[in-house]
Amino acid sequence: MMELLQYLENLLGSAWLPIWTLVKILVIVVPIMLTVAYLTLAERKVIGYMQVRIGPNRVGYFGLLQPLADGLKLLLKEIIIPSGSNKFLFVSAPILALTPALAAWAVVPFSDGMVLANLNAGLLYILAMTSLGVYGIIIAGWASNSKYAFLGSLRSAAQIVSYEIPMGFALVCVLMVSQSMNLGDIVLGQKSDVGLFGWYFIPLFPMFVVYFISGVAETNRSPFDMAEGESEIVAGFHVEYSGMAFALFFLAEYANMILIAILTAIMFLGGWLPPFDIAPFNLLPGIFWLLAKTSFILFLFLWFRATFPRYRYDQLMRLGWKVFIPLTLVWVVVIGAWMQTPYWLW
Amino acid sequence: MKIIVKFLKTFLLLELVKGMALTGRHFFARKITVQFPEEKTPQGFRFRGLHALRRYDNGEERCIGCKLCEAVCPALAINIETEERADGTRRTTRYDIDLVKCIFCGLCEESCPVDAIVETRILEYHGEKRSDLYYTKSMLLAVGEKHEKQISKDRASDSRYR
Amino acid sequence: MLIGFDTLVFYTFAVITVLAGLSVITARNPVHAALFLVLAFCSAAGVWILLEAEFLAITLVLVYVGAVMVLFLFVVMMLDINIEKLREGFWRWFPFGGVLAAIMVGQMIWVLGSRQTSETGAQVLKHSASYSNTKELGRLIYVDYVYPFELAAVLLLVAIVAAIALTLRRRKSVKSQDPAKQVLVQKSDRIRIVSGVGKHGTE
Repeated sequence: MMELLQYLENLLGSAWLPIWTLVKILVIVVPIMLTVAYLTLAERKVIGYMQVRIGPNRVGYFGLLQPLADGLKLLLKEIIIPSGSNKFLFVSAPILALTPALAAWAVVPFSDGMVLANLNAGLLYILAMTSLGVYGIIIAGWASNSKYAFLGSLRSAAQIVSYEIPMGFALVCVLMVSQSMNLGDIVLGQKSDVGLFGWYFIPLFPMFVVYFISGVAETNRSPFDMAEGESEIVAGFHVEYSGMAFALFFLAEYANMILIAILTAIMFLGGWLPPFDIAPFNLLPGIFWLLAKTSFILFLFLWFRATFPRYRYDQLMRLGWKVFIPLTLVWVVVIGAWMQTPYWLW
Repeated sequence: MKIIVKFLKTFLLLELVKGMALTGRHFFARKITVQFPEEKTPQGFRFRGLHALRRYDNGEERCIGCKLCEAVCPALAINIETEERADGTRRTTRYDIDLVKCIFCGLCEESCPVDAIVETRILEYHGEKRSDLYYTKSMLLAVGEKHEKQISKDRASDSRYR
Repeated sequence: MLIGFDTLVFYTFAVITVLAGLSVITARNPVHAALFLVLAFCSAAGVWILLEAEFLAITLVLVYVGAVMVLFLFVVMMLDINIEKLREGFWRWFPFGGVLAAIMVGQMIWVLGSRQTSETGAQVLKHSASYSNTKELGRLIYVDYVYPFELAAVLLLVAIVAAIALTLRRRKSVKSQDPAKQVLVQKSDRIRIVSGVGKHGTE
């Protein structure tokens, strides 16, 4: 394997680096796309089970081909561009929504050293990328020239901007504790002799909860899905979209969900570290643990959707500004003070 | 004290956890979905599905063209024309039910003095055009002929309650 | 290769920045103008990354593109701007604006063209991969210049408090909801079981 890589490197010369990077990008993006597809199936199955039904089970055994059937259907449908819309922005909005959702994966470490770009300011990069995702939604709402789409995009913009702040403060706590903005170093900082008790979710438990709930709000997922609000503003920002353009929004939403889940796993649940550093646990490869934790958090996303009714908009804003932001601000100070005492064990 | 308890309840997300426990329990509950084409729920003998026109055992049409059903139909879905036959009896020349209009209330069946128009247990019929759901006399008679056994059995079960 | 990869990237970003900046002031639609401004910010961030100022670049994207411009767009999209009316005053104010622009260009030439800045600019420091711009900035802000920085922070805080105080004006004639009170409502606050069959009224 290594010899083959070496041979190719010599063969391609200076073109090697771009090609090799492209291959690595594909190795990350293709599984994400497949995960997104199967996450939609998992969502329908989990919510179905919680509502005492079975969920899709007709296309393929256990409904396993359902995502492919859905994808094919969306691929073959016509993309209708409303006559009063701004065509260029209308078409570019789904791309603007999906690109940052995928670009953020560049700095996500899957295992020790398994990362596309080992950025020193990885945490900031993630924050910047997730905050860019809102443009796709705003532009989609405005370019559609439809009142529902516009209302949805305004709601979503206000929501994402306000929940970014508690999210940022939660991350400030993480980087205070880990003394690093490199995601790989953050995971390594959680390595200890006591296994899962060394992970950051214990000292930062309120931040863990705040980060996750803000993540749910940031991805416009239920119970914070006012941007879509299918029962009040029909489907929010993507009401005018059909076919593949709609599918891109869908992909972006789910890719963002997976991103939030994997980031929560990395920053609070020890990333690729096994829960106990003893025989049966540490024999499994690190990526298995990371994916297991990510899946659990994704399951929580779906569980939330099956359980909670949608927030009202003013309640949502209150939660963001009057509960989460003060809470995170206080906890930053608490952590800062705690770290100066000898009782800091992490 | 009460305020503190309330505060703790809010901040520990107790109610949310309770809600999630409920849905979590249902996740493992026995599923009640009926896999429709393979499994079917039991039907009552009073089930009101597709209409049928019945005949007597000797093959004579039951319908005498009294137009009571047409009069009672709240959706105005029934359309009847009659004439006098050579033997002096009155029979329909036209008996149409527009199933697109029909609301399956069963009043036509109730009003019929000779049990000619009935609603059967059939529910899996379809039409690809609107006109496919416009049932004419011959179509209704055909339905009746095909399912006469079931129809008469259901009427017999129901007669105990009349 | 005639020019280095860095130079190529720099010129790409620089050209995009300048073009986007021009479009901001020439675009007829204010929403388009705001979006061009976003593009200008993003490409400026690219130039800053070339200067190894990744912290500042990402903060530019995070704060300006991710938050400020979103609010900007928010407002611009809601406004019904009459472009014709805005254009009316163009020639009347042109001399004033022109003088202002000329002064600014002069100042820039003065600063950028002076010997001191041009000499330090001639040789850009290159750091190793382990160099952290963030750490350097943090040291400057929180160790070397901690008092000026704290002063600026307090100034900002005062501004925030003032801005919020200005909006804390409740008209008495308007009814409003308080979501904080609403979410705290318990069943026992609203419902009183008047009579019932069992001990607790509901059995």
